[in-house]
Amino acid sequence: MSTKPGAAQKPALAHLFWWFMFSQGGLFVAVLLPVHILVQGILGPLGIVRVVDRHYDTWISILGNPIVKLYLLVLISLPFFHFAHRLRYLLVDLGVHAAKRRPVQVVFYGGAVAVTLLTIWVLLTTAPLSLG
Amino acid sequence: MSVETETSARVATRTYKPAMGAGWWLRKRHYFWYMVREFTALPLALWLLWFIYEIQRAGRGASGYYAPNSTAFVIFSVICLLFALYHSVTFLSLAGVILHFKVMDKPVPSRLVVASQFGAWLVASIVIGAVLIGFGR
Repeated sequence: MSTKPGAAQKPALAHLFWWFMFSQGGLFVAVLLPVHILVQGILGPLGIVRVVDRHYDTWISILGNPIVKLYLLVLISLPFFHFAHRLRYLLVDLGVHAAKRRPVQVVFYGGAVAVTLLTIWVLLTTAPLSLG
Repeated sequence: MSVETETSARVATRTYKPAMGAGWWLRKRHYFWYMVREFTALPLALWLLWFIYEIQRAGRGASGYYAPNSTAFVIFSVICLLFALYHSVTFLSLAGVILHFKVMDKPVPSRLVVASQFGAWLVASIVIGAVLIGFGR
């Protein structure tokens, strides 16, 4: 593609933003999620280890910590931007070419934004902030 | 413009439409595992949605909260863990291709970059696991 001489090139900021969210989301899934699934989804329910979410008092106590709230927001919301991209391209690879179009982009990335807002709401309304 | 030039210009602007059926990814093992990698997003998204629900249920108070115990949930988690591990291995292995660093003007070998990513994964897993288990009772 050629550019007219003297024409200002606009930086693709939107592109940069979505790729950043995709890569960071993928990194957080890769590094943080497996241990949560192993401990909270398998070892805890099987009674092999004691886990913080097995009892109401320990769970609500740690959920009140602002650092934990911030961590959970990052752990939950960023991966959905990664998932949105992967699932959209999964559809494209399966022959659904409409998944490349703007309305589908709005649905998938909008879904990630909606999950982020839901997570913020749940984290703010479930357990009161506590530094103890 | 001659007829010949006009014709070649028309040919040059035609859109190429690859003829690929929806089942192309079943033809080779490599394609299949590529699609599995893309598909990992679905079970992991479901597990995280469950996790949001798990957090939200804590807001119901001591009498309304119960920890997940069912066999179905454990099986679901085992399946999700397999997909999560596949995502981790494939994603972190790519770091050697994507990330390029120089130390003392010499490029860091990609094998070392990948090893550092896997090391970070191990350390993070130990720390998070210790917190999840250490604060339990």
